[in-house]
Amino acid sequence: MSMNALRIVWRITRLNFRAQLEYRAEFLMMIAIGAVWQVSVIVFATVLLTRFSGMGGWDSSDVLLIPATRMMAHGLFVLLLGRVHGLGRHIQEGKIDAYLLRPLPVHRQVQLDSFPTNAIGDLTVAAGLLAGALGRSHLDWTAGRITYLIAAILGGMLLEAALFTAVASASLRFPAADYWGNWLEELLGTFGSYPLNVLPKAVGGLLTYGLPLAFVAYFPAAVLTGHGHGTGAPYWLAAGSPLVGVLAYLGARLLWRWSLRHYTGVNG
Amino acid sequence: MAVLHAWRAARVTPLGELHSPPRVTAALLRLTVQVVLVASLWRGLYAATGTTGGLGRDQAVTYAVLAVLASRLRELDQYTGRDTVMQHMHYGTIVYWYLRPLPPQRYYALRSLGERLYGLAWALAGYAVCLPAGVVEPPGSAAVAGVFALSLLLGQWVLHYVMLVIDQLCFWTLRNGAALLILVFAQNLLSGVYAPLWFFPHWFVTMSGFLPFQATLSVPLSLYVGRIPLSEAAVQLAVQAAWVVALALFTRLLWRRAARRVISQGG
Repeated sequence: MSMNALRIVWRITRLNFRAQLEYRAEFLMMIAIGAVWQVSVIVFATVLLTRFSGMGGWDSSDVLLIPATRMMAHGLFVLLLGRVHGLGRHIQEGKIDAYLLRPLPVHRQVQLDSFPTNAIGDLTVAAGLLAGALGRSHLDWTAGRITYLIAAILGGMLLEAALFTAVASASLRFPAADYWGNWLEELLGTFGSYPLNVLPKAVGGLLTYGLPLAFVAYFPAAVLTGHGHGTGAPYWLAAGSPLVGVLAYLGARLLWRWSLRHYTGVNG
Repeated sequence: MAVLHAWRAARVTPLGELHSPPRVTAALLRLTVQVVLVASLWRGLYAATGTTGGLGRDQAVTYAVLAVLASRLRELDQYTGRDTVMQHMHYGTIVYWYLRPLPPQRYYALRSLGERLYGLAWALAGYAVCLPAGVVEPPGSAAVAGVFALSLLLGQWVLHYVMLVIDQLCFWTLRNGAALLILVFAQNLLSGVYAPLWFFPHWFVTMSGFLPFQATLSVPLSLYVGRIPLSEAAVQLAVQAAWVVALALFTRLLWRRAARRVISQGG
């Protein structure tokens, strides 16, 4: 992206943010929603941790690292790349047809459609949980571990973005495919927050190789806490989770480009 | 004739669903995968634990799977059909609700009834598969089954009114997107969709007792799995019925006030 393009992105984002501020009550409510969604994940994880201690052979402070990593990744996804989620409505309203006429890449226009106010709430709660998880952790947080954790969070963000971009690509052909996006969000929230080795092997395999949810937070947390060899997947694959996120996102962007080339608006 | 009109209004959203094959396929796959995942999760969690929160393994699995099936009763998308109150307020078409021979409150109730019956067909189909497969346990007795059915009906009635209140909010705020998301969260959390309420701290259970959400799902499912004994069922059903009456009166008042805010063609 050139400097000029970056300047345009920054200016539009500032305008979008000011537009959100126009309706103060809605602005505050949207922040609350981001926070509330994340709190629901914490509540679920806390209830499980309290009632079922030693989940999957993991110490509860180690388990906490999974929702913390996932929620940070999710918050960054919502902030930076989240507008692909719910694209079906843009398509139904014919916005994509207008985007195609403007001299700015369609994907960038989709991302610049509005400012994701809820990301503020998402990231605030996620940062709080991450600080809590790191504070309770008994691990020695060396520079290497911290670097890997940052890479894992960014990889998780890209992997989540890849999944939603794939759904958005499908929406270009079937706007109703948006429904899959809602389910995906629910699945990531519910099953992405604890050790997947509590599930039967087949189900765990499905959430690793079918829907690559395990790479978002479970594998990185397992590698960091020394459970990397007990995940059921090869260690090198679990350790390479951040890279899986990058590759998946690149693949999803190629799929998006291909789908956009084959997009047909309602007017043919 | 009235029945025919009612049928036509009630089938709008289900017809929209049936004419969109990706949505039906997605719903089927989602329900199947969600049931498998939820059942696996609770079985896995109970592998190293005995009874907790007053729920044994089979009770917890049954509760969780029934909660997934019951979620089908709520998940129809009116937005795609552009027939939500929020969209009508946005486009100004809400006025047509008041120009038809069918009162808006009756139209809304019929739409809601149709959606819930369609969702019930999904839930029953899922139950018919899960019961012989041993994923869910049968009810303890015929009396438990009867009380559960009555409680589920009252619970859905409460949920209908709660959703209506959120929709009626649009007459004053124009948009209810944020409120709707908060409601879905509150309903999931306080009705036991995320995890049975029995696993939460005592203060949390007490607090949720003052809100209508517990009456929507937690009560009928707890009756089904036997966590609430039949001897306490009458009290619980009375609380549910009280919520139905209170919310019916409140929404009736809101409909009346909302009608005063709708202006047709300049007043």
